[in-house]
Amino acid sequence: MYILVIGCSELGYHLTKALLASGHEVMVVEKSQVRCDILTEELGSVAWQGDGTVESTLKQAGAARADVLIAATGHDETNLVACQLAKHVFQTSRTMAMIKDPKNEPVFHILGVDVVINSTHLILESLEERIPGRTFLRLMNLRSSSTGLVSITIPEDAGVVGRRLDDVELPPRSFISLVVKTNGVERPSGDLILEAEDEVIAVIPSGGEQTLYDILTGV
Amino acid sequence: MRILILGCGPLTSLLLASPDSAEHRFTVISDDIDRLNGVADEPRVTPLLILEPQMQDYLRMGGIDNADAFLALSEDEHQNILTAQIAKHVFNVGKVVCRLENPQLQRLYSGLDLEMVSPTLDLLQGLNRVLRSQIH
Repeated sequence: MYILVIGCSELGYHLTKALLASGHEVMVVEKSQVRCDILTEELGSVAWQGDGTVESTLKQAGAARADVLIAATGHDETNLVACQLAKHVFQTSRTMAMIKDPKNEPVFHILGVDVVINSTHLILESLEERIPGRTFLRLMNLRSSSTGLVSITIPEDAGVVGRRLDDVELPPRSFISLVVKTNGVERPSGDLILEAEDEVIAVIPSGGEQTLYDILTGV
Repeated sequence: MRILILGCGPLTSLLLASPDSAEHRFTVISDDIDRLNGVADEPRVTPLLILEPQMQDYLRMGGIDNADAFLALSEDEHQNILTAQIAKHVFNVGKVVCRLENPQLQRLYSGLDLEMVSPTLDLLQGLNRVLRSQIH
């Protein structure tokens, strides 16, 4: 697979190394000649010096035959322009953009970017995982981007402890996909009894997380 | 009309001072405090200092929810492209105009239905007209 990476920040550098190691053909488009030289010295002819938001540069870097374009500069707006150029001028079949502002995720999807990777979310998730005693964790955003997978741990004094799953009213368009108990994982049948320390894995539309959290952890 | 403007360069200053602007109310958002101070005395102008122009929270603070028009006039073309498309597709602003000087990007975004202005190209056309008239 031929992959164009736009931007050789630390992320772009490690991404390129990993993609090359996986056997892909990779070309990095990077403005800085110094970064290009470092990359070339270490990894061979994988760097093209230029601006990845300029049509002629993308053309020279082989955008017309690229299977994937990954826009990994540190700027949301630059990543958007690179993806839109690839999509609409070169008909690149798959465009991927890194973003920092979480609110840009839906708009990038609307504007035709195939995959949007929200670095702020990833960092927050990683931090949340490491906070002792956490009871809420966003596991991932599903492809529709307006729906997520979350984990909520039921505290001892929660009102739902001892109740059947069918008797717990969930927010609209949400459902429980898995319940992790101390003795193993259970499929969420209606008769399943919720207990303290159960970890509930649920699918929840964006904006409904707090309601679900209150239902499962409220006293 | 309530008009939100991104960017506070010479183009914005000229627009605010023009007689045609007298009937409108403007909010100008920019990360340049000196330039904002330069337009703060204009009547009907609310300056708003921001850190990250592309952030939707700042656009909301600038009143994009109730704006009749959004003008992306900053000197950063990529910021103009992103915020103009957010204004159009997220906030459904009725009139959106994007300043874009790069002809290749102009071609792309005119195909994507974005209304554009280009002071540099307008200037170039003006210069060509002057040169032609001198030659003939």
